[in-house]
Amino acid sequence: MKGKDRSIQQKLMRVVMLTSGTVLFMTCAAFFAYEVITYRDITKRELSTLGQIVASNSTAALAFDSKEDAAEVLNGLRAEKHIVAACLYDTAGKVFSTYPAGLSAQNFPTQLGIQGYVFRKDYLEGFQPVIQNNNRLGTLYLKSDMQAMYSRLRLYAVIASVFIIVSFLFAYLLSRRLQKAISKPILSLAQTARMVSDRHDYTVRATKWSQDELGVLTDAFNHMLTQIKVQNDEITSLNQNLERKVKERTLELQEANQALVQQNELIETIIDSSVDVIAVMDRDYRYLIINKAVNKVYSFGREQLIGKKLLDVFPQLKDAGMINDLKKAFSGEAVHNVSYRSTVSGRYFENFYIPLKNKHDAIDRVLIIGHDITDIMQASEKLKELNVELEKSNRDLEQFAYVASHDLQEPLRKIQTFAELSERNIEQPDALRRYLEKINSSASRMTNLIKAVLNYSRISKVDSAFVPIDLNSVVKSIETDLELLIEEKKAAIQVEHLPQIEGIPLQINQLFLNLFTNSLKFTTEAPVIRITSRTYSGTEAGKTPLLKNVSTYVEVVFKDNGIGFEQKYADRVFSIFQRLHPLQDYAGTGIGLALCKKIVENHGGMITVESEPGKGTAFFIYLPLPSDTGGELKFPKDKEDVSPTMNP
Amino acid sequence: LKTRSLHTAAYRIHRLKALGVLLLWLLFPSPFHAQTAKEYQVKAVFLYNFSQFVEWPSTAFESSGSPFVIGVWGNDPFGSYLDEAVAGESILGHPIIVRRYHDIKEINVCHILFVNGKEDTRGVLAMLGNRSILTVGDAPDFARLGGMIRFFTAHNKIRLQINPSAAKAVKLNISAKLLRVADIVNEG
Repeated sequence: MKGKDRSIQQKLMRVVMLTSGTVLFMTCAAFFAYEVITYRDITKRELSTLGQIVASNSTAALAFDSKEDAAEVLNGLRAEKHIVAACLYDTAGKVFSTYPAGLSAQNFPTQLGIQGYVFRKDYLEGFQPVIQNNNRLGTLYLKSDMQAMYSRLRLYAVIASVFIIVSFLFAYLLSRRLQKAISKPILSLAQTARMVSDRHDYTVRATKWSQDELGVLTDAFNHMLTQIKVQNDEITSLNQNLERKVKERTLELQEANQALVQQNELIETIIDSSVDVIAVMDRDYRYLIINKAVNKVYSFGREQLIGKKLLDVFPQLKDAGMINDLKKAFSGEAVHNVSYRSTVSGRYFENFYIPLKNKHDAIDRVLIIGHDITDIMQASEKLKELNVELEKSNRDLEQFAYVASHDLQEPLRKIQTFAELSERNIEQPDALRRYLEKINSSASRMTNLIKAVLNYSRISKVDSAFVPIDLNSVVKSIETDLELLIEEKKAAIQVEHLPQIEGIPLQINQLFLNLFTNSLKFTTEAPVIRITSRTYSGTEAGKTPLLKNVSTYVEVVFKDNGIGFEQKYADRVFSIFQRLHPLQDYAGTGIGLALCKKIVENHGGMITVESEPGKGTAFFIYLPLPSDTGGELKFPKDKEDVSPTMNP
Repeated sequence: LKTRSLHTAAYRIHRLKALGVLLLWLLFPSPFHAQTAKEYQVKAVFLYNFSQFVEWPSTAFESSGSPFVIGVWGNDPFGSYLDEAVAGESILGHPIIVRRYHDIKEINVCHILFVNGKEDTRGVLAMLGNRSILTVGDAPDFARLGGMIRFFTAHNKIRLQINPSAAKAVKLNISAKLLRVADIVNEG
C-alpha cells in the first residue's frame, strides 16, 4: 500500500524532475554551445583588438627602427597570459622583434600569412598589419593558446553543473511540495476506493479537495457510489424477491414432482401388476422397460434384462419371428401376433407390438405387450386331441356299425337260409338234422360275436381304477387257461422276467389272452412265443416321444414265428372286424387285436406291429411307466421262481 | 575596403622602394660609403615617417589637395634617397614633395625642414620663428638650440632626441608613440 502511495507521487516527481532536468540540461547545453561559439568569436575579436593595439603601439618602433621600444611593447603582452608568442616583422618581412624573449626563432613563422586570425589545433594565431596613417610599417604575428577559453569553458561547465544541481534540488523540493496538490486528492480518492472495495461499504464518500478535474472526479466517484448503493439495494431487493419466487417455484415443483413420482409409481405399479409381459425396446432391441410379469416367463429377473440387447441375452432369437415383428413395428406398423410360441420359455403368447413415437414424430421405441395364452393353447390342444379322439371313435363307430351289420347279418342269413331249407325238407329228418346243426352253429357264432362286441364296447369305457399288476402272473394264468391249446399246438413259450405295471387287471389279462390266442391261431407248426421287456426312453437319440408328456415307457415285445403278413397291412390288423385271412382258413371274430389296441390306449400306451410273411410277427406294447418309479422298471421279487416259464 | 586597397598599394610601393634601396646598397658596397649612404637612407625614411607621427594644424595647409612639403636646408646629404623615399607618397590626401632651400625667403609652405648639422642651425631656427614647421637636424646641440627632433647615433643605430615643448610652441602635436622611441629634452 505504501509502495503504491509512493508510486503516484514518484511518478509525478519523476515527470517534474525529468522535465525540469531535461529543460535545464538542454538550456545549459544551448548556452554552453552558444558560449563556445561566441567565446571563440570573442577570443578572436579580443586577439584582433589586442593585435591592433600592439600593432598601433609598435608603429613608431618599426618606423624608427627601435627594437628596444618594440620589445617593450611586446613585453606589455605579459599581462595577457594566453599570448604564447608574438612577433613583429618589418616591411621587408624580416623578424624585427619577438616575444617572449628567449623563444627560439623556429616558433615563429618565417613566411608571412594573410591578414586575419585563424584557429589551429590548440592555438589561435594570425597576422596583423602595422599601419600608421595608411602607411604600412610592418606586420604583427600573434599566437594565443586556448587555455583561457578552456578554463573559461571549464568554469562555465562548473557553474552550469552547480546551477543544474541547485535548480534540480529546487525543482525537487518544489515538486515535492506541489505534487501534493495533485497526488493528495488522488491518493485520498484511491484510499476511499480501496475502502469501498475492501469493506463493500458504499456509504463512505471521498473528500473533495479542490474544484479542478480531480474535484469533478471525486464528485463523479461519490455520485457513482450513491448510484451503486441505490442499485445494490435494488438488486438486493430483487434478489430477495427472486429468491422467494425461486423458493415458491421450487416448492411447487417439488409438489408437482411428488405428484409425478406418485403417478409414476402408480403407473409402474400398474405396469408391474399387469399379468401381461410389458416391455419397451429401442431400435437396438435394447430393453428399456420391462415389468415384473417377465419374471414368471423367463428363468431370470428383469434386472438382468434392462439395458441389455435382446440378441445379446437371447442369441437363439436371431431368426425368430419376434425379430420380424419388431422390425415391422419399427417401420410403423402395429403388429398383432395372435399366437407366438416363445422359443425361450416354450410358452405361448398373444403379442402386440406398438410403435412409440418421440416428439419429433419418429418411431424410436416399441411397446411390446405379451399376453400369456399357454393355458388357453393347452386347453385348445386338449380340445383338439379330444376332437381327434372323438372323430376316431366316431369313425370306429361307423366302421363298427358297418362291420357289425355285415358280420352279424352273415350268421343270421345262414340261420334264415337253413331255416327255409328245414321248412322245405321237413319230411327228410337227415337233412333237417344237418340244417338244424348249421343253424345251431350259426347261432352260437352269433352269440360269440355279440359277446365280443359287448367286450369291446365295455373296454371303451375307462372307469376302473389302476392297480399294480404283475405281468408275470398274468402270463402264467393265461398259460394255464390255454394249457390244452398249447399242448395241442406243441407251442414253446419263452417269457423273460417281466415288470410290474399299473393298469386294469381284467383288461391286461384280456390283452395278453388275445395276443396268445392270435399267435396260437396264425401258426403252422411248433410255434415259439417269446415275451421280452425293457425300459424305452422316448428321448433316446433319433426317436421322438410316442406320446405327449411321456418320456419313459415299458416296452413289452410279444414275438412269434407264425405265418406273418405284409407290413403294409400293419394298421389294418388293429381295426375291428378286419381280417387278413378268410374265415374258412382261420376262425375268429376279427375283434381280438382291435380290442388289444383299445386296451393299450386305455392305459395311455401304444401298440405297434412288425411282421413278415412266413417269418413271424412281433407286437410292441408301450405302456407309460408310473411316475413314482422314477423311470425304473419295478420287478416283483416273489415271482422269480416261476419265471421264465418254459414249455416243453 | 578603400583604405585597405590603399594600404596594400602603399605597402607594395614601399616594398618596391625598399627593394630599390637594397639594390643601391648592393651597388655601392664600400664600407664608408655604405655607412654614410645607409645613415642618410635611414634618415630619409625617418623624415618621411615623421609625417606619420606628427599633427600639423590645419592652417599649415593651403587646401585639401595642397602638397606636404619636406624641405632640406642648405647642403643636401640625402642625395636621391629622400626623393625616392617620398616618391608617390601622400599624407591625408596631401602629396609629399621635397624642396631644397638655401634662403629663408624660399621657405613659403613647409612642414618638415631638415637642417644639416654642417649648416648654421641656430640662425635657421631663429629665422623660422614660430611657423608650424617640424624642425629636424643632426647637429649635436640641435634640440638645445630649439630644434625639435635630432638624429643621433648610438650603438651604431640612429636614434632620436625630441624637444616636445618646441614643437608644442608652434602647435605641432608629436605623437606619444614617437616620443616613446625618442629621448626627450626639454629646452625652452
